[in-house]
Amino acid sequence: MNIVVSTYLVYLAISIALTVWVAHTLHKNGRIFLVDVFHGNEALADSVNHLLVVGFYLINMGYVSMALKLGYELNSAQEGIEALSVKIGMVLIVLGGMHFFNLFVFSRMRRRSNYRHNQPPVGPDAFTAVKQEA
Amino acid sequence: MFALTVLYDPECGLCRRSHEWLNEQAKLVELNFVPCASEEARKRFPVLDHDVTKQDLTVISPDGAVYFGPKAWLMVLWSLTRYREWSYRLASPELLPTTKRVVSAISQNRYQISRVAGLIG
Repeated sequence: MNIVVSTYLVYLAISIALTVWVAHTLHKNGRIFLVDVFHGNEALADSVNHLLVVGFYLINMGYVSMALKLGYELNSAQEGIEALSVKIGMVLIVLGGMHFFNLFVFSRMRRRSNYRHNQPPVGPDAFTAVKQEA
Repeated sequence: MFALTVLYDPECGLCRRSHEWLNEQAKLVELNFVPCASEEARKRFPVLDHDVTKQDLTVISPDGAVYFGPKAWLMVLWSLTRYREWSYRLASPELLPTTKRVVSAISQNRYQISRVAGLIG
């Protein structure tokens, strides 16, 4: 097994482990947000949570597999580790970006749902008597 | 049920067109449209100054809170599912002065706008 192939294998192992860990964190901690967004409807929250995690896996695994190819020769273990660190760094940045995007989606959903109970945007100019309809 | 009463000007084409558009929108709060200074408006709000309501849009909540002009427009936006977020945005301290200026300009020129847009009749 030459250096390139072992670099690839280490890259895949680390990337997949990281993706699984981030997805797991999102799945575990995003649930409480979603339950709140859907006003305690846990079945719906779990369903949306699961769908979000599937999307997360698809995008990240897609990126990991597309970014696998190195495109140049590796002549020493040092070059292998350097190449690996660049690749893993990119995966981490993409994961971070996806993670913040997910948080943004969660917080936006939550804010939107909160609007339903909110107070009017402005205070009244005056008060008048209202005659109830008979 | 909580519903806002909207006193609108039935003589302005823009207001009637807006009324039609509002009827089609999904709402978080119901809107009841009553022509301003009409029999019905006077009956429902006996102590309100109905001459003032002819000048600009007026919204009245069931507990008698009166929103006039730009504030009435913001309340109408607030009642709509799709635009509630915008009502808060436009009512923020940074944007409220601009909102008031733009809304007042439209209100004061509503007959001219209706004429130019061909909304008369």
